[in-house]
Amino acid sequence: MSDTLVEFRQVVKRFDDFVAVKSLNLSIAEGEFVALMGPSGCGKTTTLRMLAGLEKPTSGEIILNGRVMNDVSASERDTPMVWQSLALFPFLNARENVEFGLKMKGVDAPERRKRAIHWLERLDMGEFIERPVNQLSGGQRQRVALARSLVIEPKILLLDEPLSALDAHLVIRMQGVLSKLQKELGITFVYVTHSQSEAFAMADRVVIMGNGDVAQVGTSREIYRSPANKFVAQFVGRNNILGGSVSSIDGDLALFDTECGQFALRIPEGKTFQLGQLINISIAADRLRLQQHSDSAPKNKPMDTGTNQVDCTLISEEFVGAVVTLFFETKDGTELMVQVQERELDQLKVSQDTLYTLSWAADSAHLLSD
Amino acid sequence: MSQTDTAIRKSKSSQRLYALTWRLPIIVWQVLFFVGPLLFLIAMSFFLVKNYRMHEAFEMVNWQKMFSRDYFRDSYFFTLGLAIGATVLCSVIAFPAAFALSFKVSANTRRWALFFLIIPFFTSYLVRTFSWYVILAESGVVNSLLQFIGLGPFTMLNTVFGTMVGYLTLTLPLVIVLQTFSMSQIDKSYIEAAYNLGCGRIRTITSVIIPLAKTGLVIGAVFCFILAFGDFVSPYYLGGSKPPTLSILIIDTTKSGQQWPRAAVVAIVMMLTLFTVAFASIAYAYRKRQR
Repeated sequence: MSDTLVEFRQVVKRFDDFVAVKSLNLSIAEGEFVALMGPSGCGKTTTLRMLAGLEKPTSGEIILNGRVMNDVSASERDTPMVWQSLALFPFLNARENVEFGLKMKGVDAPERRKRAIHWLERLDMGEFIERPVNQLSGGQRQRVALARSLVIEPKILLLDEPLSALDAHLVIRMQGVLSKLQKELGITFVYVTHSQSEAFAMADRVVIMGNGDVAQVGTSREIYRSPANKFVAQFVGRNNILGGSVSSIDGDLALFDTECGQFALRIPEGKTFQLGQLINISIAADRLRLQQHSDSAPKNKPMDTGTNQVDCTLISEEFVGAVVTLFFETKDGTELMVQVQERELDQLKVSQDTLYTLSWAADSAHLLSD
Repeated sequence: MSQTDTAIRKSKSSQRLYALTWRLPIIVWQVLFFVGPLLFLIAMSFFLVKNYRMHEAFEMVNWQKMFSRDYFRDSYFFTLGLAIGATVLCSVIAFPAAFALSFKVSANTRRWALFFLIIPFFTSYLVRTFSWYVILAESGVVNSLLQFIGLGPFTMLNTVFGTMVGYLTLTLPLVIVLQTFSMSQIDKSYIEAAYNLGCGRIRTITSVIIPLAKTGLVIGAVFCFILAFGDFVSPYYLGGSKPPTLSILIIDTTKSGQQWPRAAVVAIVMMLTLFTVAFASIAYAYRKRQR
């Protein structure tokens, strides 16, 4: 399980003047589900294509199963890929598409047929074995594409935004299919996506890429709760990022000044701060508490209570089902967002004319590395 | 019936009239210059010729005479063979060029190449055919060059080789253009998917690119067949009309004894052949998989 299957060693990919991937170091274990995630142009697809042999690294080494792959052609790699467009051959039916890889390997016709049908049935496509691919629905085509890649029994499956063309409800279904399949087969999945929900829902480990660099590698939870840096915090979204300079230190609490006030932060273990040091913190939007401002309430000193407070007004709101994101603005213009449950919102009766107080505990803020 | 219903019905019929008005010119043109002459041609094949004059009649004699002549049958199969040969040769020669233009060059180079492929059509086909005389003659350019290395001279004019050169002059640029259009539209991810599934470069051409470009390749071949089958210039001037193709036969028949009705028989047989070949090929090219 923990044996390394894939290793990128200082892999660089340059297209003319554009550096798509800058010195990538990454190892992927056997049986691991890794998601490469990032905004478009971050190098995630190029990384996947280099692994499949569809792009040649400018420098560095890609090792697969203990073998340096740089000079191995795409057709000799056994790194099947599921394309965003699926790339199912339109002149072949579902079964013939699945048989394609076996045919190239020289497997004889009866055996090919048996294995193709077995895989199509396994993916609930038993009814559609002889169907031309252009008469299949998006979800069905997806399954044919998966079967076509898996029929050759690879050690690794590459997926390039395979669900991005599907309807939202189908995406959730296919996520379930993929997760289950990966666990049952025990093979490595490398999954490229720009969608957090896909990556976080399925992957054992998520690699966040930005501008050709790895920004953070970790489990979904690590990345969501402790983004390594500003880029990750922003990309993951629903994070409030505040920057300021350290003004005093008391035990394990540091006080820092920002444009919208003075706040306390629990100093992470092993970190030391100097006075005047510039720091960035992020607070997840669901960690902020929202209440109506009241002049009578005692003004908190963050140093005494470990609770931070800031006054602000509502600017807009965004509904996504049961969760509502509210966007606030402080007096100096800093924007903050808060996620609340829709039923809590009913009790608060938010309006744009009211002053609110947002509060958060000193230890729910997270220190960013830059 | 309510007033709105009547109004809708009126507007629908006026829409139909509007559409018909736009279609009318092409319909009139086709009836006057295609359907009319065609019907006349068919009728003429039953006419009789007496004392070098054509008489209206309805006799099967022209059909019977033509079908009982060996020279007509020989000419038919010779022409068919030449056209099939030209089609195969042209498709095979065009493919590497179209492949290179589709996948190996930039879009800009491709545009220029397609432009240069269209340039030959600026000059008359007859002029281009005559220029082959200079090149292919016994004392022409090719034989002079071959003489340097002690070969030849070879007889190239008035042979099947000459006819083929003429046919390819006519069809090759067009077929390259048609093949390039169809291949350059292939989504690259199909080709990458083939490599990804263990398909080598050469095999990708036969297993993926050719099936994907099938429609364009077939249409290119059909055009080549139609042009070669009906061509008169190449077999006459470069092939020396020995043996005569059907198009030469038509001319000979009209010249000898004003046998327009018999020439009409040849023309109708040619048209039926072209119709069958074109229809079958297009049906094959656009055939949807139904299983």
